[in-house]
Amino acid sequence: MLPNRPITPSTLSIKDLLWQVLWNKDKCTLCGQCTAVCPVNAIEPGVFQKRLIEPALNITEKPGNVYKVYYGIRQKTDPAYACIGCGMCSLVCPNDAILPSKNEENDKLRLHIDRGGQPRKRGGRRNVKDGILDQIKFIRISMLTDPALDAGRHEFELRTLLGRVLSPEKHLALLKENGWAPPVREIYPLMIGGMSFGALSPNMWEGLQMGVAYLNEELGMPVRICTGEGGCPPRLLRSRFLKYVILQIASGYFGWDEIIHAIPHMKEDPCAIEIKYGQGAKPGDGGLLMWYKVNKLIAAIRGVPPGISLPSPPTHQTQYSIEESVAKMILSMSMAWGFRVPVYPKISGSSTSLAVLNNITRNPYAAGLAIDGEDGGTGAAFNISMNHMGHPIASNIRDCYLNLVALGKQNEVPLFAGGGVGKNGNLAANAAALIMLGASGVQMGKYIMQAAAGCLGSESDRCNICNIGNCPKGITSQDPRLYRRLDPEDVAQRVVDVYLSFDTELKKIVAPLGRSTSLPIGMSDALGIADHHAAERLRIQYVV
Amino acid sequence: MNIRQVYEISGEENGQRVESRILEERIQSAVAAGNRHLLVKALGQHGIGGRLFKSGEEAIHVNIYGQCGQRVGSLGYPNTFIEIMGPASDDVGWLNAGAQIVVHGNAGNGVCNAMAQGKVYVSGSIGARGMTMTKHNPRLDPPELWVLGSVGDYFGEFMAGGTAVICGHNSQSPKNILGYRPFVGMVGGRVFFRGPHDGYSQTDAKMVPITDDQWTWLCDNLKRYLEHINLYDLLDSLTVREEWQLIMARTPQDRVFRSKPAISDFKSRVWDKELGQGGLIGDLTRLDRSPIPVITTGDLRRFVPVWENRKYLAPCEATCPTGIPVQQRWQLIREGRVDEAVDLALSYTPFPATVCGYLCPNLCMESCTRHLNAMTPVDVKILGKASIDARTPEFPEKTGKKIAVIGGGPAGISVAWQLRRKGHQVVIFDKARTLGGKMASVIPETRIPQEVIQAELSRVEKVIPRIHLSRELSREEVEQMKTDYDFLIIASGAHKPRMLPVPGKDRLIPALDFLAKAKKNGIRPGKKVVIIGAGNVGCDVATEASRLGAEDITLIDVMEPASFGKERADAEKAGAKFRWPCYTEEILPEGVKLKTGEVIPADTVVISIGDAPDLGFLPDTVATERGFVLVNEYSQTTDAVIFAIGDAVKPGLLTDAIGAGRKAAEAISDMIQGKKPVGDNRRMIDKKRVTLEYFDPRIVEFDGVDQCGSQCSSCGACRDCGICEAVCPRAAISRKDRGNSEYEYIVNPDRCIGCGFCAGACPCGIWDLVANDPIE
Repeated sequence: MLPNRPITPSTLSIKDLLWQVLWNKDKCTLCGQCTAVCPVNAIEPGVFQKRLIEPALNITEKPGNVYKVYYGIRQKTDPAYACIGCGMCSLVCPNDAILPSKNEENDKLRLHIDRGGQPRKRGGRRNVKDGILDQIKFIRISMLTDPALDAGRHEFELRTLLGRVLSPEKHLALLKENGWAPPVREIYPLMIGGMSFGALSPNMWEGLQMGVAYLNEELGMPVRICTGEGGCPPRLLRSRFLKYVILQIASGYFGWDEIIHAIPHMKEDPCAIEIKYGQGAKPGDGGLLMWYKVNKLIAAIRGVPPGISLPSPPTHQTQYSIEESVAKMILSMSMAWGFRVPVYPKISGSSTSLAVLNNITRNPYAAGLAIDGEDGGTGAAFNISMNHMGHPIASNIRDCYLNLVALGKQNEVPLFAGGGVGKNGNLAANAAALIMLGASGVQMGKYIMQAAAGCLGSESDRCNICNIGNCPKGITSQDPRLYRRLDPEDVAQRVVDVYLSFDTELKKIVAPLGRSTSLPIGMSDALGIADHHAAERLRIQYVV
Repeated sequence: MNIRQVYEISGEENGQRVESRILEERIQSAVAAGNRHLLVKALGQHGIGGRLFKSGEEAIHVNIYGQCGQRVGSLGYPNTFIEIMGPASDDVGWLNAGAQIVVHGNAGNGVCNAMAQGKVYVSGSIGARGMTMTKHNPRLDPPELWVLGSVGDYFGEFMAGGTAVICGHNSQSPKNILGYRPFVGMVGGRVFFRGPHDGYSQTDAKMVPITDDQWTWLCDNLKRYLEHINLYDLLDSLTVREEWQLIMARTPQDRVFRSKPAISDFKSRVWDKELGQGGLIGDLTRLDRSPIPVITTGDLRRFVPVWENRKYLAPCEATCPTGIPVQQRWQLIREGRVDEAVDLALSYTPFPATVCGYLCPNLCMESCTRHLNAMTPVDVKILGKASIDARTPEFPEKTGKKIAVIGGGPAGISVAWQLRRKGHQVVIFDKARTLGGKMASVIPETRIPQEVIQAELSRVEKVIPRIHLSRELSREEVEQMKTDYDFLIIASGAHKPRMLPVPGKDRLIPALDFLAKAKKNGIRPGKKVVIIGAGNVGCDVATEASRLGAEDITLIDVMEPASFGKERADAEKAGAKFRWPCYTEEILPEGVKLKTGEVIPADTVVISIGDAPDLGFLPDTVATERGFVLVNEYSQTTDAVIFAIGDAVKPGLLTDAIGAGRKAAEAISDMIQGKKPVGDNRRMIDKKRVTLEYFDPRIVEFDGVDQCGSQCSSCGACRDCGICEAVCPRAAISRKDRGNSEYEYIVNPDRCIGCGFCAGACPCGIWDLVANDPIE
């Protein structure tokens, strides 16, 4: 890298980058581990010239110049190799000689990342730290009023229902008249949301599934996990673990032939079928698995050629209206398992959510509605979709719940909320807030990636390269050289830890409400916020 | 007062129940009055028998008949002895701090809640939440609860001390004498029990064997208990040691290792068993998915270094139209093989001294990587000039192939030289009296000493026969040559001056004529000279005109002059003026009239706007385009056996002509061998791969070939410096001798981590770090 090179408008200095690699020459032992590990080749070994002037004051000697060379680490300034701040360099540095540091100034990189006319695509998250969920407090602490429970001592059965819940009379009547009533699952209210086999590495996916199976079989927690849209490994489809799995179908229909072929061999019905119409991270845009990640294995599971990008269109291609789309998909999916499996759509949070909800309330086969808010994460999306499109989950879920209340169906159609649950680490608080706003359960994605697998993403544009398959932790990579860094057993263990501690925290919140079995769904009088407008909008208490 | 006298207090007065507060007042007054044996007829009053501290050190006995209320003996004191003559309500012994309480019957919920001292003997079973929150103050004896039957649910929650004994005799719930979910949050104390149970909080409590001391204690105290509840005859049936079990609180250290099965155990026992070997995708792939460290070697490296010696062309070699591997010559010099470095040039050009040393603008130096760091390029002219002494190489035996070259200029000589070196029979046909074309005839002596050109031409003449033609070739003769020779090469140059279609054009002197005459001092240009066309040839004219006495020299052009380099500098030195844009209207006897009407006075007007080839002799099979011969990338014309090179194809530099000759010779040679011509497809190295930090940026001028050699970064060609070997943190690189002074640097994949230090440190840009082959 020559300091005196010709510059272009997009020539950047280290100062212009978002992440600056601080390297300490004195500490560095030139072991090469940082350059070997850097997922984006943002640093390279450098040869540095150091000039020493040797002055001479007496007349017999002439002053001279000596050039010395030393070796070290150089940060690249080409936007294609910009540091992503993942910090793997400092993770492997034996001497703490290197550390990425975030530029306090607005970087210039963002203005030049569109060279070739391609706007930025990335994985990860919205990179907005604030969120209304974190501001919500639980203000109803019953000591003597409701039967006050002790989270540590009392027994809790925190469960929620997934499926169309009818009144006992209606339910019985249906059974009697038709021999059929809608299937309902009693599940744990925190689900692992849809992350596909493909978006996630095989080891990550297996780790999550294994952790879920453990929670169910060893600890009796009926935790459910959604496959995302990327098919499902045939072995899982034919195992009893399938009952812990929500199969997702989306507009790309990846891997569904395998699922169909497996139906006759299924030992258990899946927990449910989720029809994905939208994703909170990129509303209006479809799924996208970039070609870097479509290797032979992924291609085989999805039924596509390897090495190609796999977009799922934003809409289902064969459906032409909301009426038709919802009715047709739900009916077909219900039929596949003899109407024994709940089928529900998932949409991205939107000002049109109520229209979808209205449709669902009129469809007797619809098992519920999942809404994914703007803070949802993703493997790959356009920056613009991720950062600027979508609806916050809190008011969206609230509107839908209150709409159900107005229809008298709040106990009939369960709503599931996702998108940024626990994005600042407050998983139980966010989940409980959404439940009290009206959700029957919540879905999480990024949180479990961070907590169970050590995802380095944060709300400050750190890492965010899930899209290109270079995940330094092996979570979203399809390259064995990367994903073998992740041991499925460790992931499973962390899933278990996360659920157990979440369970305790959730109990801490619901125990003072006197709830030990039925969740405080829609119990909004327990919520307060110090923001008057938010309080009015969410119809919760304004507390200062 | 006789303290042995029983003082009776009734809970009923006038058919009405006495309030708990009133009864308490009466009990306290009685004690204060010295009564030590109380008989209370209770009617549901709460808290009877507690707080009787007024008796001081004296024992006080409270016998309760009737229906006692809740919390009998709550906040009880030592020396208080309470006997409930029937069953008890809830919370017997709540917060008991020392009282002994006997219940002759069952007791309700909450027995001994938060008790810290004292004893509670129950002759039946108890309700839920017994022995919860109990304490043990180390200064005082721990509390005890004795239950003959079973206990209710949630027994021993948050129990922190004391002993509970549950005898399991005549139990209310004989199948589970410990009740549902006992010992949650238990942190201290112990529980002896006898009989079946349905589990307890494994997190908090654990079963331990009963020691001999504990058994002795149990038996001794069991006697006392049975005495108190008047069932001493049960002693034998209750002291069967094997029937008893003991539960203790776990220590905090104990709790860390809770009895959840390990994930690895779950994986082998449940997961893999259900899914099959290899888990979730064991049927889809055989890839090893076991954990690996972050820093890996061998196949698991993400990147691998590749030693790409000579894979790319050095910029000097790549930009030299002749294609001389300049960096290779410097390498030979570094190795002390100066003669070889000099000789090497003759493999590429017959004119290393004339062209590289004098006449060439040295594109090699222009492209030198050192410019990137504003450093002086390595000086090729020094090496070029030294090549005058290069030894003529051996020319191999003739192959029998006959090739005719038309034109004895640089292009023709170059192609003949190369073809001759390859053993073919070559003849040059030329019109001029001497070999060398324009190079020999028109380039001013100021640009190059004549003896240099002559020396190099005579080197050529020794090996290449020439047929001097005194006239133009005819088309028929060329057709005939096609049958006489295997290949024909047109290298006839461009000699037909381009003229301006303006009045008075007859007065113009073509530049080449002028230069040829000037070289022999055969022209007097006068004081004022105007040169139309200010290119390099025009500059040569200006310089020569000045030498021949011209004082006022003007070069005019229709656009900014394209001249450059030494020619331009010499012309400027001669005082030549450059003017543009100037459009010539007419050539007058007194000078050049421009379209503006201005007349630039001139004694001599030279036209120097280029020359066109004279191609009247070409057969019809050879196509032309805009007056030049049309060729492909190997200089082959539309007639497969006729090639064309040099100015006949495209006006260019001497080095362009020489290079075209060399490449045409390669192509012809390939064709003679029946091969498709390939040429050199190597690309120029990315200069950014080269590390200039090793070189002194303050060198302005080189003092000889040795310094040039040392400061050449040898782009793309290994210097054999061994820096990579030294810099590799894993000692993965080693030098392998291949014999014949050939060598290779190799990487041990089992040591290499793909850090790229070799690539970063290499001065020459040999090492590249490339993505490892995908694993799938």
